[in-house]
Amino acid sequence: MSRTVRLGAGMAFWGDRVQPAIEMVERGDIDYLCCDHLAELTMSILAKQRARNPDRGYTRDILDLLRGALPAIVEKGIRVVTNAGGANPHAAAEAVVALVKELGLSGVRVAVVTGDDIEPAIDDLTDRGVTFDNLDTGEPLSTVRDRLTHAAVYTGCEGIVSALDQGAQIVICGRVTDIALYLGPLVHEFGWARDDWERLGMATVVAHAIECGGQATGGLYDGGWADVPGLEELGYPIAEVSEDGTAVVTKTPGTGGRVDVGTVSEQLVYEILDPANYLTADVTADFTQVRLEEVGPDRVRITGGTGRPAPATLKVNMGYRAGFVGETQFTYTWPRAYEKAQRGLEFLRKRLAAADFRCSDELVEYLGHTSMWGGRVAEPDDPDLPEVVVRYAARCPDADEARKVFTESVPLYNNGPAGIAGIGTRPPLKELYAIWPALIPREHVVQSVEILEV
Amino acid sequence: MRVADLAHGRSGDKGDTCNVGLVAWDDEGYRTLCRELTEERVAAHFGSLVKGSVTRHEMPGIRALNFVLTGALDGGGTLSLRSDHLGKVMYAWLLRMEIAGDR
Repeated sequence: MSRTVRLGAGMAFWGDRVQPAIEMVERGDIDYLCCDHLAELTMSILAKQRARNPDRGYTRDILDLLRGALPAIVEKGIRVVTNAGGANPHAAAEAVVALVKELGLSGVRVAVVTGDDIEPAIDDLTDRGVTFDNLDTGEPLSTVRDRLTHAAVYTGCEGIVSALDQGAQIVICGRVTDIALYLGPLVHEFGWARDDWERLGMATVVAHAIECGGQATGGLYDGGWADVPGLEELGYPIAEVSEDGTAVVTKTPGTGGRVDVGTVSEQLVYEILDPANYLTADVTADFTQVRLEEVGPDRVRITGGTGRPAPATLKVNMGYRAGFVGETQFTYTWPRAYEKAQRGLEFLRKRLAAADFRCSDELVEYLGHTSMWGGRVAEPDDPDLPEVVVRYAARCPDADEARKVFTESVPLYNNGPAGIAGIGTRPPLKELYAIWPALIPREHVVQSVEILEV
Repeated sequence: MRVADLAHGRSGDKGDTCNVGLVAWDDEGYRTLCRELTEERVAAHFGSLVKGSVTRHEMPGIRALNFVLTGALDGGGTLSLRSDHLGKVMYAWLLRMEIAGDR
């Protein structure tokens, strides 16, 4: 009987529940807890936090998670791999070290993996011939250079493998790929060659199946949400990975949710482009021949994934400031609610024009009718409808312009058409960050590992 | 019949691209979806919701079709003004599509 390595998916995004991870370390019999905290936009927000305070810039939910989970992690010898370091992995590691001490624990080796943050080196790299042209539009970086918030390379599992080889129990990374959080432990455990594309590709499929946590165990399950038991106590997925990279996906015993071919299938198709060329920093994975089989209650075997050489370039996630959203929402009632809403919108636009309002784009949605598939669904113009909810949003060049939207909608309460309610209080202003996708040859990116002992 | 009679789905974002994955409940349903859901028909069904292209990919082992829709999220999740800025419910619009079938 060949051995397996049990990887648990502890977090799927910044702000996710931490209880599933705590239950997993206590009852899931896992070897590794892998936690993904970073979405496309997250790095922009974290870079902004770091700019305000050099001790911030990481996702602080890792501390909530570890506060609950560390005693069991230490007792059972579970190892944690996380990208919660975000824009400031060192600060995250120091906070974790402080937490370990506060909990009265010791003998914990914490590793910091860096090398993803290339923002300080952009000009140097540009001089050395890296253009950072926009991958989608081809525009040169100079278009947005002065508005950049951060530049982080989606790095692979090398640093994690090295940290684990050095005995780290908690590995804190910045912008490594979600997949690397899972490949790192497997390469460390099984000693796979870095060009073992078939196993790396297969394991990438497994990692993709569980990396979004509850979305593999019955959360968001379109195939039968009404029949998924215990959504409120949803258990997160665990992959029992074999030496050949195939795995059985299951979940923490005694938790809510369900693992079957349907729930895992839906997650396999989530946020992929060409399944024959799933690009990561470590391998180009091929999902096209993946197969799923139920091998027991809440147990699904994944096979059939493979891979080819990793791309010669790595993806850079750069963010730049792109203005603010101005937004307001109000409700008109029967009779002729839609007609009133039209008059209300005319009022708002004329008031905004009088205030010299500037915006690059605007959007009107009628909530309950056109907010999801606007343009393909009829506007709510039946005069007998009980109510029509209007949401107006505009992309504005700065905060002052964005504020005007709510300000100029308030007079609708007593100067506009009858039958209005629900404007509410001023919503918080939302700053926009745009993503500037670019490529960098991998030889310019070097990960490094630093070990802290407690 | 509708696509929803044969499959379930999920959708999400990558920048300004939205992908819609459909998983058929059985082999016959998968064959029907492969026949009916051409890139041209799916593009017509999404209409103004997709400014760019529609590309179809097949994953026969799990009876899945993946549709990649470019220019589908009003500039991308971080910029979009839409309530569904991440394309989370785009799949349901495809499930509503009427198709020719036996059931």
